Amino acid sequence: MSLFSAMSVSASGMAAERTRAELLVENLANAETTRTPEGGPYRRKDAVFTSQPMSTSFGSLFESHLQEGVAVSEISVDTRDPEQRYLPGHPDAGPDGYVAFPRLNPAEDMVDLTSSARSFEANVAAISAVKDMIMRSIDLFK
Amino acid sequence: MLSRLSDNLERYMDLLSARQKVVASNIANADTPGYKTKDIDFQSEFKSAIGGGSPQSIEVAGLPVKNDGNNVSLDRESRLLTENDMRFNLASNLIRSEVQSIRAALQSGSNS
Repeated sequence: MSLFSAMSVSASGMAAERTRAELLVENLANAETTRTPEGGPYRRKDAVFTSQPMSTSFGSLFESHLQEGVAVSEISVDTRDPEQRYLPGHPDAGPDGYVAFPRLNPAEDMVDLTSSARSFEANVAAISAVKDMIMRSIDLFK
Repeated sequence: MLSRLSDNLERYMDLLSARQKVVASNIANADTPGYKTKDIDFQSEFKSAIGGGSPQSIEVAGLPVKNDGNNVSLDRESRLLTENDMRFNLASNLIRSEVQSIRAALQSGSNS
């Protein structure tokens, strides 16, 4: 039944939003991290979304133009120079007394996090509407 | 199946589920850069569905485009989501009442 594939489209949206929220939370947690395994301060990460046709079977190939799911195509890492703060006593301070801190704005991440949560809720609402429709079709048998 | 009316109701429900699928795709891609809102032209697609055609999606014009080239409006999509749900509810109730009237006719025939 075609309505079931609408649920998988919304599920792909939920998975993508969850990935984005995870990255945003990681950014907030690492707002003051000056040491990373790659060296240097933490760099802000963000998810890049791309739409992808959801065709799983031969039959659905014909109608793939109707439904497009979403996937995280890449995780972009901020390449801007780190923020320099003058903290001569800090163990990671350079010879000039400046420490490289991650260049990220917690307010920006909080706003993105809210938007991600709202989008997730919208996908949940879509799933429950589609589920209602499926249940009503099944009720026709009663 | 039962009559021409219920055949048309069946196509109406098929078209509603196709539209619901498009709305679900729009919501899933609400944060995809460059994604354009898609929709089904309901009236013309219903006419072609009666003739046995399969629905085609179109891009919606006149929506404000965000900086990343995406023009999905979550308000519009949630309105359509509810609207499709209610229309589907109506159509399924109509089919159910038709089935019930046939069933009543069958039962009154077996009682006499």
